[in-house]
Amino acid sequence: MEAKDLYIKPGNQERGWNDPPQFSYGLQTAAQGAPKRTPLNKRVPPPQLTGSPCPVPGDFPSLTAPMTPPTNPLAPPCSMNTPPRPCPVAAPPLGGVMATPPPPFPVVEHTDSASSQSENEPDVDDVVTLLNWALTACRHTVKKQVCNDVAKRLKLFEDMWKSGKLSLPVRRRMSGLVQELKSCNWDAADEIHRALIVDHVNEVGQWMVGVKRLIAETRNLNPDLLHTQEVDQSLDTSSAGNSD
Amino acid sequence: MATYQEFIQQNEDRDGVRFSWNLWPSSRLEATRLVVPVSCLFTPLKERPDLPPVQYEPVLCSRANCKAVLNPLCQVDYRAKIWACNFCFQRNPFPPSYAGISDVNQPAELMPQFSTIEYIVQRSPPNPLIFLYVVDTCLEEEDLQALKESLQMSLSLLPPNALVGLITFGRMVQVHELSCEGIAKSYVFRGTKELSSKQIQEMLGLTNPSASGPQGRPAAPQDPAVTCRFLQPVHKVDMNLTDLLGELQRDPWPVPQGKRPLRSTGIALSIAVGLLEGTFPNTGARVMMFMGGPPTQGPGMVVGDELKTPIRSWHDITKDNARHLKKATKYYDALANRAAVNGHSIDIYACALDQTGLLEMKCLSNLTGGHIAMGDSFNTSLFKQTFQRVFSKDHNGEFRMAFGGTLEVKASRELKVSGAIGPCVSLNTKGPCISENEVGVGGTTQWKICSLSPSTTLALYFEVVNQHNAPIPQGGRGAVQFVTQYQHSNTQRRIRVTTVARNWADAQSQIQHIESSFDQEASAVIMARLGVFRAESEEGPDVLRWLDRQLIRLCQKFGQFNKDDPTSFKLSETLSLYPQFMFHLRRSPFLQVFNNSPDECSYYRHHFVRQDLTQSLIMIQPILYSYSFHGPPEPVLLDSGSILPDRILLMDTFFQLVIYHGETIAQWRKAGYQEQPEYENFKHLLVAPVDDAQEILQTRFPMPRYIDTEHGGSQARFLLSKVNPSQTHNNLYSWGQETGAPILTDDVSLQVFMDHLKKLAVSSAA
Repeated sequence: MEAKDLYIKPGNQERGWNDPPQFSYGLQTAAQGAPKRTPLNKRVPPPQLTGSPCPVPGDFPSLTAPMTPPTNPLAPPCSMNTPPRPCPVAAPPLGGVMATPPPPFPVVEHTDSASSQSENEPDVDDVVTLLNWALTACRHTVKKQVCNDVAKRLKLFEDMWKSGKLSLPVRRRMSGLVQELKSCNWDAADEIHRALIVDHVNEVGQWMVGVKRLIAETRNLNPDLLHTQEVDQSLDTSSAGNSD
Repeated sequence: MATYQEFIQQNEDRDGVRFSWNLWPSSRLEATRLVVPVSCLFTPLKERPDLPPVQYEPVLCSRANCKAVLNPLCQVDYRAKIWACNFCFQRNPFPPSYAGISDVNQPAELMPQFSTIEYIVQRSPPNPLIFLYVVDTCLEEEDLQALKESLQMSLSLLPPNALVGLITFGRMVQVHELSCEGIAKSYVFRGTKELSSKQIQEMLGLTNPSASGPQGRPAAPQDPAVTCRFLQPVHKVDMNLTDLLGELQRDPWPVPQGKRPLRSTGIALSIAVGLLEGTFPNTGARVMMFMGGPPTQGPGMVVGDELKTPIRSWHDITKDNARHLKKATKYYDALANRAAVNGHSIDIYACALDQTGLLEMKCLSNLTGGHIAMGDSFNTSLFKQTFQRVFSKDHNGEFRMAFGGTLEVKASRELKVSGAIGPCVSLNTKGPCISENEVGVGGTTQWKICSLSPSTTLALYFEVVNQHNAPIPQGGRGAVQFVTQYQHSNTQRRIRVTTVARNWADAQSQIQHIESSFDQEASAVIMARLGVFRAESEEGPDVLRWLDRQLIRLCQKFGQFNKDDPTSFKLSETLSLYPQFMFHLRRSPFLQVFNNSPDECSYYRHHFVRQDLTQSLIMIQPILYSYSFHGPPEPVLLDSGSILPDRILLMDTFFQLVIYHGETIAQWRKAGYQEQPEYENFKHLLVAPVDDAQEILQTRFPMPRYIDTEHGGSQARFLLSKVNPSQTHNNLYSWGQETGAPILTDDVSLQVFMDHLKKLAVSSAA
């Protein structure tokens, strides 16, 4: 799971008030079982029972240098419309004590752009070829109807890619998925499919189940079937439409 | 006391048990005088990554009405290969397979560190898990699309061998046949006509006319996966089902102006329960119901279809003006019981802006251990992620959900079991350990929990039955054994056995020791569950009076004071947090219905009576942490005095996470100081509570709401309504303190509450 697959998007504030942020599949699975950094579970007993004086949280000495006009809650709403000038007295303390160390992993604001970025743009034909290689191997033992259904969805996937309807993260991760398929890393491929359908269901929902089925069927095949001549031929050709 | 804190924590970590008292009063009379009963919170499937299960059957005591499991408290004669049951003292021979044991070669279940141990037993071929989706189609287009996508996504999250089924409903109810090829077929039912289970099964073609089963009942199918066209393995039907879901349309019946859509939720659920009853009785199954509004037609309707008649409010209910309430509740209660008997659980995912009838339907989930999720729309992160988390996996990559649980409790003869409060139903088993005083679900020592998670927690109540002045055996200990049988998500059947013991103490001479063994956190949750249980059947003010009376009695018993001198009142550290818990409990949405709809109350209570101790405490008294430049984040009093201009507050109520920026912080944020490199520490300060909130957001089930607000913001009300209003518009000038934000309320503050409490506790007239 790459770092850029660990992200957080804001919730849907239009449909749900105070909708919480949405975590990517990678972030959610990483969090399972991980120990909390700062477990927030402490409470403070009220002073009346322990005999200590008037409750003032933290009991901190009041700051000698007023940082802004006194924030007296009894006063009318703050008339301070212009913010304080950025000087050490009026602004947040410079270089003061850090409240907590920075977060352990980068929280990246996810930008869902279809435009290619500086990295290598995955090649649609490479991806489709590998998928078809797996499908061809399956045709020996898996029912025809099932294979055709899978083929239909792979075609849809290919069409969506070629017409620019798939975002870069989806294209990139599908490229990763087929690499795992090629290396027979079934669990890894499966995990990528799961991550994709959780994070991008609106893009992949219609065809991803075909890929899911392809992984499931291919992993059950006799390993020899994955390397018959017919199959290797399909790897060499770069034709897109391999289905019957 | 430090030692008891550690003891309590170690026991919770190992056994998932927290007792109200860790030294038990040796007589019934003294136990009642302690006010808080001897009781515990028990998490049957607490996550124990360090506990490998053993692959053999547990050894049981041979006495017919005992059958306790061999455990570390048993006396063992290794030479004679005999063990003595610590509950009934029966001497039992070890089975032949234990011939090789000795005191240097002990079986795991005798070792003290295995006070909790899990056995894998495989008595019959494993049954697949079953997921039956029941989907409301009377949704707005955007919502339906989002729901469809979530359901399609879930097919990738289900265990591959699980069986899956689909029922859709609106005005009519459709049961979809999930064949692998050809045209999709479905069976349509009228949404108004109530059918018996047998009729449903006949109409779905599930009864085999030539069966040799008992008269009138369908024979169990030989290979259900093949013969049941409505519940098929995911790995076979995922593609077809994905297409089927993708093609679902909104309910086609037009909804006239001023009317609600006709939703036949009652019939849909009845068909779902009947379908599972007929095909897979006594197997782990989950009905997952998704609804976007209240049931408006057929049995179980909660409100009529005229929009001008609003759905019942608390006001309507107290005025006895809720037409459908009794009938609908009774209807769903019957369905819930049928499902529970078969070990099937029912989840409710309700997403709508108005109420949907959770008040009437809550028993479906409460009795079966199913979830209730409540959101505004299916197109929200709150619903999507909550739903995803149903399928969350543990460190072994296995699903956390478990099915078909039964819990049996055994106790030493000085103790009897009064009952349990939690997501369970009684199995009505009779036995010697049952107390006549029922608390919660009583009259039994066995309960069924159809669906469990690692956090599912029951409160169990005991009664000490030793007579006053009966001699305590020297160094005597009482013991309790919890035996949980369940179906793991990998379809293995497992038995988890937890055996715990505590010393008896004479309350006359050892009251100080008993007091120091008090677990105020556990007791607060235990008493709170009792209060919530009562609130379901009693009047609200009566429950509050009862709660207050218990608190006063506890303070009278354990407070240190001079008679009639309130200022002299003190409580030891072991009880110092307890009154505050009770204060916040009184104000909580669990006991205060004001400001929450009946559905919201049902939702909050549903989660409260099943969560573990830490989460339950958060619900009673939210956690409040303060972030500032003055030091690391620290917990602060849940008090208006903690709201300061130069602090950021993070409040966790379990259902909401609130980040509140004090006035000065808000001004700086608005001015954009965090963007400037010289003020990087301010940027870190702003981010700190967000990161801590994120850790909670990433794992909590259900997903909480997330509120980012500031001084003067409208959403600040979430914070203001929870904090103790020590400073209000009433006492602004009388209270010496000049800091903090005043709360506009007439609610009693903690100070006033404590003053009253102290006065009543020390009063010789009480």
